[in-house]
Amino acid sequence: MNYFQLFAIEVSFDVDINHLSQSYQTLQKAVHPDRFAHASPQEQLLAVQKSAEINDAYQTLKQPLKRAEYILTLRGVEMPNEQKSFSDTSFLMQQMELRDMLGDVKFADDIDTAFNHAQQVLTQEYQQLLDVMQQQILENNTAANALACDNLRKLKFYQKLNIELDRLEDSLFDD
Amino acid sequence: MAYSEKVIDHYENPRNVGSMDKNDPSVATGMVGAPACGDVMKLQLKISDDGIIEDAKFKTYGCGSAIASSSLVTEWVKGKSIEEAGEIKNTAIAEELALPPVKIHCSILAEDAIKAAIEDYKSKQG
Repeated sequence: MNYFQLFAIEVSFDVDINHLSQSYQTLQKAVHPDRFAHASPQEQLLAVQKSAEINDAYQTLKQPLKRAEYILTLRGVEMPNEQKSFSDTSFLMQQMELRDMLGDVKFADDIDTAFNHAQQVLTQEYQQLLDVMQQQILENNTAANALACDNLRKLKFYQKLNIELDRLEDSLFDD
Repeated sequence: MAYSEKVIDHYENPRNVGSMDKNDPSVATGMVGAPACGDVMKLQLKISDDGIIEDAKFKTYGCGSAIASSSLVTEWVKGKSIEEAGEIKNTAIAEELALPPVKIHCSILAEDAIKAAIEDYKSKQG
């Protein structure tokens, strides 16, 4: 049973997060340890394992990049080794510029404006790339899957940028 | 996680941080990234007509180990021929910096950056 089947939804990148969260609560309640207090050790163990599986499934389907990776894996698309270096020079140049932009925010005359601008740029570029990947996942053929895979790797760099953006926000406005 | 003294030294006093003109025909630029952690590394080499690396600069966004690996590499490649530089292995970098297994990929990134720079140089010489 794959994670989508576990939640009784069809395999699709388009997931209703509210519905997913509700199903998650319902599924977890059904395997809650309290319900198995008087069950056999064997049944208790199975309930704990099921709970862990439901949790993994929820964490995977909730996050767009993990969900995309999971769908591609279900399709048998071979994901490049995580450790393998990425060498799309123009993309990486642009990534470096975005990191420079974040680094420069704290030196700006108007920090609020500079931060908001950076946030806007990152959100927009992330969303554009995510939309492109979503379309490729929808197409579901060998070429599109390979492109989706490539864009998923790019999106991970944006994910890192978003973490840096949150950190920057904390350091700038946390007082 | 504890960083080795050498990593901390390179992290606190990185050698050869900076940029060169990537359009200069004698400058080789290697850009590499690691999707798993979002690290981005740029290594630039200034190469003489007889193929000797005269200067090296780096710029890295990443963890301490990634910064230390690229900083170390700029020190190592200076004075070497591009062939010699191309033979630098990630294992030597990892050993010198005493990188723990989870940080080995930082040394791989640095090795790949050298290779990417040499490739860029060759394509420029065409």
